[in-house]
Amino acid sequence: MLDPIADRIEHYMDLLAARQKLVAGNIANADTPGYKTKDIDFQFEFMSLMKGDTPDVKEVDGLRSKNDGNNVDMDRETRLLAENAIRFNLASNLMKSQLNMVREAIQEEKN
Amino acid sequence: MSLLSAMSVSASGMAAQRTRAELLVQNIANSETTRTAEGGPYRRKDAVFSSAPQASEFSAVFQSELDNPATGVEVSDIVEDSSEPDKRYIPGHPDADKDGYVAFPHINPAEDMADLVGASRGYQGNIAAMAAVKDMILRSIDLMK
Repeated sequence: MLDPIADRIEHYMDLLAARQKLVAGNIANADTPGYKTKDIDFQFEFMSLMKGDTPDVKEVDGLRSKNDGNNVDMDRETRLLAENAIRFNLASNLMKSQLNMVREAIQEEKN
Repeated sequence: MSLLSAMSVSASGMAAQRTRAELLVQNIANSETTRTAEGGPYRRKDAVFSSAPQASEFSAVFQSELDNPATGVEVSDIVEDSSEPDKRYIPGHPDADKDGYVAFPHINPAEDMADLVGASRGYQGNIAAMAAVKDMILRSIDLMK
């Protein structure tokens, strides 16, 4: 959009949004029999994914299944929920400062 | 926008937990009911959850949404308990059979209360998720200021 840094931030925010959607889905399905926790490999997708592509959704390994085959771990999901919100907050503040830099440059021109 | 569909996912979870809580409350209220419209004592009801793709309203326009739909939840079925009713010996009761036994619903209120706590916690979890997503959306909008 503006420069490579802003592009990366935008991509980062897109991925966070995609991940938050999965976390919301996991929490909504916390009592659904047979449901398996879904997530994306964040590091991998951030490094390799082209902008605009949809990230690869995977089922998470190593979670304990309950008797009904559901393996949603509420502690994990609430942690991710908070983590994603904080990361998004940080990214949006970074983006804001990027935009302000451009805005200031435009204002300088006027003065 | 993918964040808006995350909100509808949380909303589907809230709706499902609410339906479940309504059924549980109904079970507790009817734990001594011996007459129903279908005849016989009340039978315990419970909701069956199944995951369902949550398409946002504009998903038809954005193909990428269709490739990767958000997984919400829905109440796919409401099942009735098919176990035998409890028989209690109350000869004077209007619904007593010829031996003096009355059929009462096979309901354990402790079980329903425990499930109700679970439904309430699930509802709270969905609210927390929705609040977090809403905050993210508002922060994106703030970028324009």
